[in-house]
Amino acid sequence: MDILSLENTGRLYWLGRYSERVYTTVRLFSGSFDQLIDQVSEDATLIDRFCRSLEIPNIYRTGEEFFTRYCFDDQDPNSIYANLLRAYDNCVTLREEIGSETVAYIQLALYALQKAGRSSAPLVGLQKMCDNILAFWGMVDDSIDSEYVRNIIKIGKRVERLDLYARLRRPAADIRREAHRLAGRIPRTGLRYDEERLREIVALAEAEMPDWALLLERVEAFLEGAT
Amino acid sequence: MQEEMDLYRHTDTVNELLARYGVKFGIYKDKTFHEQLFPFDAIPRTISAEEFSSLERGLRQRVDALNAFIRDVYGEKHILRDKIVPEEFVYASSGYLPICEGVTPPKGVYAHIAGIDLVLGKDGSWYILEDNLRVPSGASYPMIARELCRRASPKTFTGAHIEDNRDYAQLLRRTMDHVNTGGMTVVLTPGRYNAAYFEHSYLAEQTGAHLVTGSELRVEGDYLYFIGYDQRKERVGAVYRRISDEYLDPMNFYEGSLIGIPHLYDVFRKGNVALLNAPGNGVADDKGIYYFVPKMIRYYLGEEPILQNAPTYLPYYPEDMQYVLANFDSLVLKDVAEAGGYGVVFGSKMTAGQMEDFLRQLKAEPRRFIAQEVIDFQDIDIMEDGERVPRKADLRAFVLTGEETMVWKSGLTRFSRDPHSFIVNSSQGGGFKDTWIFSR
Repeated sequence: MDILSLENTGRLYWLGRYSERVYTTVRLFSGSFDQLIDQVSEDATLIDRFCRSLEIPNIYRTGEEFFTRYCFDDQDPNSIYANLLRAYDNCVTLREEIGSETVAYIQLALYALQKAGRSSAPLVGLQKMCDNILAFWGMVDDSIDSEYVRNIIKIGKRVERLDLYARLRRPAADIRREAHRLAGRIPRTGLRYDEERLREIVALAEAEMPDWALLLERVEAFLEGAT
Repeated sequence: MQEEMDLYRHTDTVNELLARYGVKFGIYKDKTFHEQLFPFDAIPRTISAEEFSSLERGLRQRVDALNAFIRDVYGEKHILRDKIVPEEFVYASSGYLPICEGVTPPKGVYAHIAGIDLVLGKDGSWYILEDNLRVPSGASYPMIARELCRRASPKTFTGAHIEDNRDYAQLLRRTMDHVNTGGMTVVLTPGRYNAAYFEHSYLAEQTGAHLVTGSELRVEGDYLYFIGYDQRKERVGAVYRRISDEYLDPMNFYEGSLIGIPHLYDVFRKGNVALLNAPGNGVADDKGIYYFVPKMIRYYLGEEPILQNAPTYLPYYPEDMQYVLANFDSLVLKDVAEAGGYGVVFGSKMTAGQMEDFLRQLKAEPRRFIAQEVIDFQDIDIMEDGERVPRKADLRAFVLTGEETMVWKSGLTRFSRDPHSFIVNSSQGGGFKDTWIFSR
């Protein structure tokens, strides 16, 4: 495939973003939930802090509701389930670009999440979902012939990861690494992007104490209109 | 037999693999879109080499005649002038499109991909139930099922002399390339929420074509283009369209279509793009026109039909109406405007009130219905809760017309899961089987 439509370019990019969002937020969620396990009484602050870090509304009244709805509620637009469904919706429209074998891993991730929701050990089920997302990324590298296609999915992943890391105030070294990965790959995609803003992103990421708000704004804006 | 048994033991495995690859169909229930897995039964329909050879000849003959009919109807109209098919019958068909008059598609092929539905009678004869010449679907299911069956139970296939049906994509590609007018080949889908979306995307992948929606194509001047990122354009020479005629082009067909491509038909009319299948084919796969196919075979090819129609009556003819009224209980009645198993009713299963309503409709609009004898067709076993149980099943054979007319050495066998039902359609809960053609 040497020519991609604007629609498929956008789908590839968002497939990368949503897959990464699901994977990273599950890892983050698992950490937060682990802390909840040790609480004798439910710590509302912990859930609140989690929601604030991701800029999602805290609509969860109890730890149990937080666990169930945030992970498995397809009606909660911020849930892991809803984000995985968005990855899936993009993925199934890309079969001829990325191949059935690659599509299968997002499908399997969705089944794993659905099964986890019915399981008596849902955290273990979430791990299986993550395994499938990792396998998906393996397939992206291994079986997609078009470098152009691979690069666009990966740009989605890089943008999402930088965005999440900035929201989560990850260590400066992590931010720096992700910013450089993004800057290194994007010229290979053929995507339209704002070079000046990208330079700003790299500069902000180099700072010992990045301006988080500005960094987030630049990350969200530098590809505006491109996908 | 022992080898077959090994595959049966893996039915669940194959269904799990089908789920893995998202082999689904979409269905709307309560105005909401749902995706459902298409239940697969591992006991195949088997057809001997000799039997298939006869079927193949019959199917080629039938599709050649149907192509000749469409060409004639939109061209010279010999068959109408010679009164083999009543003129008013053609012009009253909802599938007849006046806009197609005088338009010849690239290489003169109208029905490139035909899905012919058959059943095997208890007398051992195959009967044609329906010709589907517009957007027949279903080839992808046995194609991927075979791949997965071979993976689940390789020894079943070792030395079994079963024709490999995974060549469907190559046959389809050859068919598309034959009529391509220069440029890329695309599969045009209505989109993600179409019932057969899996098939659209799988066939695009397997044929190496681009899967597109209408918004990705544009007519400029006399040509059709695929519009890439940054507005880069590439000419399109063949469109395997999975959109029905009326939605193809809002400037020439249904003006409210949001999924079509404005002026696509104008490009086609000028011979600058191939549409597979050609618009207007509905005139030949109308359930009413079906009655005339044996006559078409004699008329165009000068041959006796190799395959038989199910005995069919047209209430449009007064003598047939009389027969239908007298034998209502033993007939199946079909609304010619419906598809997918809808609009099919059995006289014997109607209540008195339903019958009264139906007869009123039948008398008011006789052209709208056909009546057929209920074929006593052979059941095929399926596995249910570990037991072999008989169920009604049909066969959709795929006939591709390119440089030559080719019959795919397989087909979609659909079965009813309800022991009391003849309706095999997936939209009504049916499942599917692979169709094995033995090579010797």
